Amino acid sequence: MKTSCEHHQDCMQLIQKILDGEASVAEKEYFIANKDQCLPCQKGYELELSLKTNLKSKCQLSCPEQIIHKIRLKLFLLLILISILIPLFC
Amino acid sequence: MLMEVEVKDKIHSLGNARYVFEKEFMPHMDAMYNFALKLTADEDDAQDLVQDTCLKAYRFINSFEPGTYAKAWLFRILKNNFINDYRKKSRGPSKVEFEWVEQSISGEDEATEPAYFADLQAETVNDMLGDEITAALQSLPVDFRMIIILCDLEEFSYEEMAKILDIPIGTVRSRLHRARALLKTKLVNYSKTKGYN
Repeated sequence: MKTSCEHHQDCMQLIQKILDGEASVAEKEYFIANKDQCLPCQKGYELELSLKTNLKSKCQLSCPEQIIHKIRLKLFLLLILISILIPLFC
Repeated sequence: MLMEVEVKDKIHSLGNARYVFEKEFMPHMDAMYNFALKLTADEDDAQDLVQDTCLKAYRFINSFEPGTYAKAWLFRILKNNFINDYRKKSRGPSKVEFEWVEQSISGEDEATEPAYFADLQAETVNDMLGDEITAALQSLPVDFRMIIILCDLEEFSYEEMAKILDIPIGTVRSRLHRARALLKTKLVNYSKTKGYN
């Protein structure tokens, strides 16, 4: 197995493309066929995957209920106001 | 009589707009708040930004086609709102931000990413807490933060990100690559200070 990769920049871009769901079938097949022979690419793949999954699972927050209430209230008031004003201007 | 019909139609269309809003836009409130908070790094500003975005979306609801991707439409409004109002309020882009974006546009990718992130392992990232990863993300220049959130947290396609950010798809690719390289550098530094590995 190779312990250094002469195309590491290109490989990392390909790995990210694959994980982002943007790679073609041929690109995926090429990577799968070569991954097991290159340690930096294997490690790079594992790292990119862990970054992506950890960002998704650990950095998400819910919207506070009070904002949702405020928005609904503002829209409701806006709707009432416009409903009152429309007949006056038509 | 004609006027009465016209009034009823307008009121009906307002009610319909409210229905579209509830059905198409409300399911994306968590994602919008999350995006707003990561951009502003301030809870009050994030709340204001989400509210402004919703009111703007409601105002321009006629230009939204029901059944199309509401989330991308909302994110585009939120991003524009942030750039036009909140970014000016908080601060201008940092010098680092300009440098990175300029390099990103000119395509000088080669010198940016260390040949191999030997110091950062997948296991280290798995062990990190959400707050630690969030802190590293928050320390990125806003354009880089934005593209990572859109891609990794919200799972937009490159094409959708290009539309939301108003940039060519090639710039999406290069900016994303550079953003991730910088995020890894931040995580390496962070993991060293915290004694990971």
